[in-house]
Amino acid sequence: MRYALLVLGGPYSHQAAHSALRFAHAAIARGHRVDTVFFYHDGVHNAAHFAAPPQDEPHLVDAWCDLQRTHGTALQVCVAAALRRGLLDAREAERHGKSGASLEPSFELTGLGQLLDIGQTHERLITFAP
Amino acid sequence: MLLHLLNRAPSSSSVHQDVLRAMGEEDGLMLIEDGVFGAVSAQVQHFPGLEGRLFALREDLESRGLAGRCDASVTIVDMDGFVALTEEAQRTVSWF
Repeated sequence: MRYALLVLGGPYSHQAAHSALRFAHAAIARGHRVDTVFFYHDGVHNAAHFAAPPQDEPHLVDAWCDLQRTHGTALQVCVAAALRRGLLDAREAERHGKSGASLEPSFELTGLGQLLDIGQTHERLITFAP
Repeated sequence: MLLHLLNRAPSSSSVHQDVLRAMGEEDGLMLIEDGVFGAVSAQVQHFPGLEGRLFALREDLESRGLAGRCDASVTIVDMDGFVALTEEAQRTVSWF
């Protein structure tokens, strides 16, 4: 089946991101495709390029990037939720007169309408909330 | 048939009451994260009438030291079993 996950919880403050990652790997192990993960609300912090947790702790941002690299999972971030929280790609940073990009390049900024599209194009959409 | 996901303990949130009111007769309830506190024998009375339709995630029980305290009426599933339940359900509803 074609799965999508919605992550509403920020990393290291709630279990949502951990649960979603473990679900993604379990679904793939059962032969499903996890085509899209959509990050919304505080979940957008999962896309923080400058996240640098201690080396002996799980690196959630890297784990999402691995999922994207290994299984082709699209990592989509609500642009409005991201900009409010200081997560900007190079284009948005320039548009707002800021230097540097704080969004991890494996993630893409997209509109909330994309979430509605995901609900119609994927066979299952599972929400992981804080 | 819907699969409801609950990640709140019945002792810290009353959202489980909303879940019970919303559940259809065939629906299943999957307890994850802090929701698994509701699977222990002293708490499971908060989920009456769900025999055979109440599930708890093994990894979340174990990480909270509750693996041996889960009530016999609750079906323990691992992450693979969780995915299987989402296959069977038409869709899932998350409560938090």
